[in-house]
Amino acid sequence: MSILEVRDLSVEFTQRGGPRLRAVDNVSFELRAGETLALVGESGSGKSTVARALCRLVAPSSGEVLLRGAPAGRRGRALRRYRREVQLVLQDPFASLNPSFSVEHHIRRPLRISGHPRAGIDQQIDQLLRSVNLSPPRVMAKKYPHELSGGQRQRVAIARALAPDPAVMLADEPVSMLDVSIRLEILNLLDALKRDRNLALLYITHDLATARHFSGRIMVMYRGEIVEYGPADEVILNPAHPYTELLESAVPRAAVTRDQLVVQRRERLQERKIAPPAERRELAADTGCRFRGRCPYAMEICTTHPPDFEVSPGHTARCWLRDPAGPAGRTA
Amino acid sequence: MTPAPAAAGPLSTLAGDVVLRAEHVSVEYAGAQPTHAVRNVSLELRRGEVLGIAGESGCGKSTLAYALARLLRPPARLTSGTIQFYSRDRSDPVDIMALDAAALRRFRWAKVSMVFQSAMNALNPVISLGKQFADIFIEHVPEMGRDARDQRSRELLEMVGISPDRIRSFPHELSGGMRQRVVIAMALALQPEIVIMDEPTTALDVVVQQEILDEIHRLREEIGFSIIFITHDLSLLLDISDRLAIMYAGEIVEYGYSEQVAARPAHPYTYGLLHSFPELRADRHELRGVPGSPPDLREAIVGCAFTPRCRFAFGPCPSTHPDLRSPSHAPRLALVPGARQVIGPDISSAGWSVACHLHDPKLRPAGPPAEITQPAGSSAPAVTAGEDT
Repeated sequence: MSILEVRDLSVEFTQRGGPRLRAVDNVSFELRAGETLALVGESGSGKSTVARALCRLVAPSSGEVLLRGAPAGRRGRALRRYRREVQLVLQDPFASLNPSFSVEHHIRRPLRISGHPRAGIDQQIDQLLRSVNLSPPRVMAKKYPHELSGGQRQRVAIARALAPDPAVMLADEPVSMLDVSIRLEILNLLDALKRDRNLALLYITHDLATARHFSGRIMVMYRGEIVEYGPADEVILNPAHPYTELLESAVPRAAVTRDQLVVQRRERLQERKIAPPAERRELAADTGCRFRGRCPYAMEICTTHPPDFEVSPGHTARCWLRDPAGPAGRTA
Repeated sequence: MTPAPAAAGPLSTLAGDVVLRAEHVSVEYAGAQPTHAVRNVSLELRRGEVLGIAGESGCGKSTLAYALARLLRPPARLTSGTIQFYSRDRSDPVDIMALDAAALRRFRWAKVSMVFQSAMNALNPVISLGKQFADIFIEHVPEMGRDARDQRSRELLEMVGISPDRIRSFPHELSGGMRQRVVIAMALALQPEIVIMDEPTTALDVVVQQEILDEIHRLREEIGFSIIFITHDLSLLLDISDRLAIMYAGEIVEYGYSEQVAARPAHPYTYGLLHSFPELRADRHELRGVPGSPPDLREAIVGCAFTPRCRFAFGPCPSTHPDLRSPSHAPRLALVPGARQVIGPDISSAGWSVACHLHDPKLRPAGPPAEITQPAGSSAPAVTAGEDT
């Protein structure tokens, strides 16, 4: 069931002495109950801005957000009700918890604000702590952030997000600040909570591997646009957009031998000599496909902005290569 | 270049091959209860190789790197150990710990330079790149004229793939990846023999990360320096380093060629790290990570520090400290099907060591061919015994 529907969402920022920056450009998608949707892309692609716009930390400049079919509240009580339903977990658990308050305080506040009566609130706090595997809850509740490890802090942040009993959880790079060894625990926890509470989870990350393994569908974002969208395995194993291909090829792979690695490295360096990447990236295209400056398959038609083409059922790519009527099959 | 694993000798190679040798290094942070951040670590860096150091935050990997360059500041203190540097001109080894202030100043950056984690913080935001390059030369090559300095700085920028015109730019005018390239160019300015890189790509996204790593490799081949590469991302290290040291709680618990370690992690902790991240293209299966957290390094550690988190802990682990020894691959830690492929069926155990009682034939749980099964409800693989290599 679709819980949160996003239609043509755009977010613009004003820049000093320059044109307005369109960080999110006409993005549409939906979040379903009990399902994880991953949003992947490089730094600066606009992923976090999407999350911030969805919980209305920034105001969208256009577009619609529907919660259970009804337009999201924009101010006052309606906005508060909306925010209760759409909760955010931030990247850095060292910055997102207040060092001068206990764990308990961090969870009591959202409970009180969302109208939980004082009676029975301690039990509710304990239950939330238990649900994120912080035990014994009474001991953990009295601790302060500096007494916790990074993984424990992120659990507190998750418990806090769960406190108002939301329908939607936005997790913005929830594990990228954590050690590799504990990332999986947090991701497995989010996965379990999603299942148990029938949450709609938006998992924002730049890590393709966890995006694939922890979500049903993946959206790939490039410079504010969703350039590819589809079932997780489809998008990763059969990428349809050259940008997804690039992201995917940049992931270190351990299953090849060192000699192969050296050869691959030489080839990539050779390719980059033709157009130094640091400079090439500056060629931001205003019209047409935004990726064409970096795209190995760029064609004449790419100066026209591509629409979404369906690659297979439920899998779309915003690339002229996928135009069934077009001139191009894949060239490489 | 580095020898292939098959041709590898034992860890103590001839001194001519080695550019840096650290022996029994211990570092503690002073305090009411001192923190023993690095405990009795010995390693050597060979000429032209990339030595990776991996471990969780707080395992002492950065502290160790700082100690090697003698960059520790109070309250950190080197409490024991020797660090020898063997210059490429074959002069007498330099005892880094014995250098006086003036000699140390000449030594650092000229012989051992460093790339720090955050390129944003490593560059001065209010000074142009040209001036920051010039500072290096003014300090270390005072006889160099202004024009020569400018010329050399431009060359360095070009070398790392940045247009020389950028010399007048300020750090905020560059992207994160470009800034990291500038920092690398600065580290190479005096043609050092060792570059220590502390999480150089952690703040970058995958595409830029790959570009930077490729660049580092190219420069190493062209110029010929050795790298100590520190990160918590083991998949990255397997990609770029020739040899690996896995650190846990201030100690090296496994040390060997990347191919050996990738194929058959000998220490349960290495095994856990290797299975902490899903493989992009592999089948989906449940992954566990390494549950639990590392010990408090202020406390005295008896026995193996990993015991509380180890699925394979047995009799001697809580009480007897394991020393580094050659791994005996029985029992060996099997691999998750489809996760990480074994590269070649037989991997020499030369130059490979592990600190784990599982590899001590005298202590190992008895009964070959025994099978240590995994805890119920886990899809992680079992440890299979009885297959000696």
